[in-house]
Amino acid sequence: MTFSADRPTMIEFKDVHKYYGDYHALRGINGTIKAGEFFSLLGPSGCGKTTLLRTIAGFEDISSGVIMIDGKDMANVAANVRPTNMVFQSYAIFPNMSVEENVGFGLRKDPRSKEDKAKAVAEALEMVGLKGFGKRAAHALSGGQRQRVALARALILKPKVLLLDEPLSALDKKMREHMQVELIKLQRQVGITFILVTHDQEEALVMSDRIAVMFEGEIAQLADPETLYRRPNSKKVADFIGTMNFIPAQVLSETGDTLEIDAKGLGRVTIDASMAPPARGESPVVGLRPETLTLLYDGQTATERETEGIIDEVIYFGDMTYYDVYLGGTDVEVRLSMRNVPGRPVLDVGTKVRVAWSPSALVLFR
Amino acid sequence: MAQTPGSEARTGLKLISPTAVYVILLLAVPLATVLIYSVLTGGRGNVSLPVTIENYSELWAKSVYGYIMVKSLMVALVVTAITVVLAYPVAYFVSFHVKPERKSLWLFLITIPFWTSYIIRVSLWFVILGYGGILDSLLGTIGLPPLNVASHSILSIIIVLAHAYAPFAVLPIFVSLEKVDRSLLEAGQDLGESRWVTFLRVTLPLSMPGVIAAALIVFIPTVGDYVTPELVGDGKEPMIANLIETQLLKLQNFPQGSAFAVASMLMVGIVSVAFVLWNRRFIGGQK
Repeated sequence: MTFSADRPTMIEFKDVHKYYGDYHALRGINGTIKAGEFFSLLGPSGCGKTTLLRTIAGFEDISSGVIMIDGKDMANVAANVRPTNMVFQSYAIFPNMSVEENVGFGLRKDPRSKEDKAKAVAEALEMVGLKGFGKRAAHALSGGQRQRVALARALILKPKVLLLDEPLSALDKKMREHMQVELIKLQRQVGITFILVTHDQEEALVMSDRIAVMFEGEIAQLADPETLYRRPNSKKVADFIGTMNFIPAQVLSETGDTLEIDAKGLGRVTIDASMAPPARGESPVVGLRPETLTLLYDGQTATERETEGIIDEVIYFGDMTYYDVYLGGTDVEVRLSMRNVPGRPVLDVGTKVRVAWSPSALVLFR
Repeated sequence: MAQTPGSEARTGLKLISPTAVYVILLLAVPLATVLIYSVLTGGRGNVSLPVTIENYSELWAKSVYGYIMVKSLMVALVVTAITVVLAYPVAYFVSFHVKPERKSLWLFLITIPFWTSYIIRVSLWFVILGYGGILDSLLGTIGLPPLNVASHSILSIIIVLAHAYAPFAVLPIFVSLEKVDRSLLEAGQDLGESRWVTFLRVTLPLSMPGVIAAALIVFIPTVGDYVTPELVGDGKEPMIANLIETQLLKLQNFPQGSAFAVASMLMVGIVSVAFVLWNRRFIGGQK
């Protein structure tokens, strides 16, 4: 999270709308993407994230609004002259060409000599870890290799913005995790603005400097991963990113900086106003991440607050155990996670336990 | 499915046997007959030994035969070129610009000319191209002299054949265009090429298997077309098939006719194989 917000703006959306017939796909997108940023568009399928990416590339016209790239209005700029390149979800590798022909595809109008272009292709392949693959047939490549070819083919043109449309979704889990790290490294190395579309919240958290969470054609929250995770601005965002326990609550009193609330099963607690995003007129609930709740073993005491409970369910994951616990003799059930370190036996269903928690981890949605 | 591989193979043979009998009796046997006849000595209505190559040397000896063969070949090549060039935009339009749910309807409409008998279609072309026909009347109304296209036998043959074989060319090209992944076209534009250059660098090479198939489908039958020269050219411009017909049916010189038939098959075979080899980088040609 070393991203600095004072970098120049690369992309700016001003009230962007997109209609497909009657269907309102983008409903007033506003926001900026900074130069050199690793930016993610995150949301469930059908939320408009891919549509937004395609409007940046120029494959979709927008119905109203303005998209600026590097200070220029893209209204009448065709896809083939925009300073963007795309890594397609299907990779779109030309099946009738070799790897080097694919990577060099965009260099036709490049004034450099044939030898220089061949050198550039070789360098691009080396950068993505495909040194010596130039003569290979495109159809003989694995999924991961195809993706690298697609990356090299886009990056060789030194775009201002690289667009990635769910590039990792076709890879298996191990390969995906490996490519996540490689993409981060590559982005730091080339310094180009990367915009990633993904429905995988974990992937977005791992890779991005900032994330725009989208629902139904709107950006619900645009923030860095830590803010999104710790201070989601709505119950919907909180629910989409990671696991969140929601506990019914009542707001007792409110001063400028703090709120006094009564959360069912937790009792009265004072929280900071920064942990209560603007009210939406919903019935109040507090959100609590599983890792902010801790089971207390014999002899341990809570540093802040503790509440009694009964274990209802035990889910063993090897390195972690998840417990579903009824809090304080109520029907409020929360999930909490414990690392399985020595001295922490896995407890049984029905065990009476004490749960430690911190008021500062609570987020209030209302 | 408790079948051993042996019994599975027997079942397979049984299943293909009707087709196999058909192929042997109606293709292999006649072909063998023609091949054998072509090297025998012929008289009027009979065939006899000795074995000879005279029927083939006759082809070289009389320049008119060579002329007819080359003419047939040229007509077929021109028809093929015209048909494929005209069919490509039609196939492209249906594949790229017609809504998916309408595509079958469009293909169906393209095949409508087949509903009419070929003879009737040829006669209609006469009405259009003939002296005082529709074309000439139209030219007359804008003050141009009549062309009387129908009096130019070869030109008429080419026009009628190109029209007749157009649907055969549209279908394979359409199929190969349907297989082109549309994201490749976006990738072409994303990498800086215009729509037209993307077409030349991506779509056209990827649709070449269909173009090659279309060319062969049109070329092979048009070389041996019999009806069109007979009807349109009024028999004044005979092609190979008319030559063979004369030998086999009118003169009843079976060996000579067979030799022409074999020579024609060889010619078509050589041109087709050469064409396929010339384009082999496109076929199965996913490098």
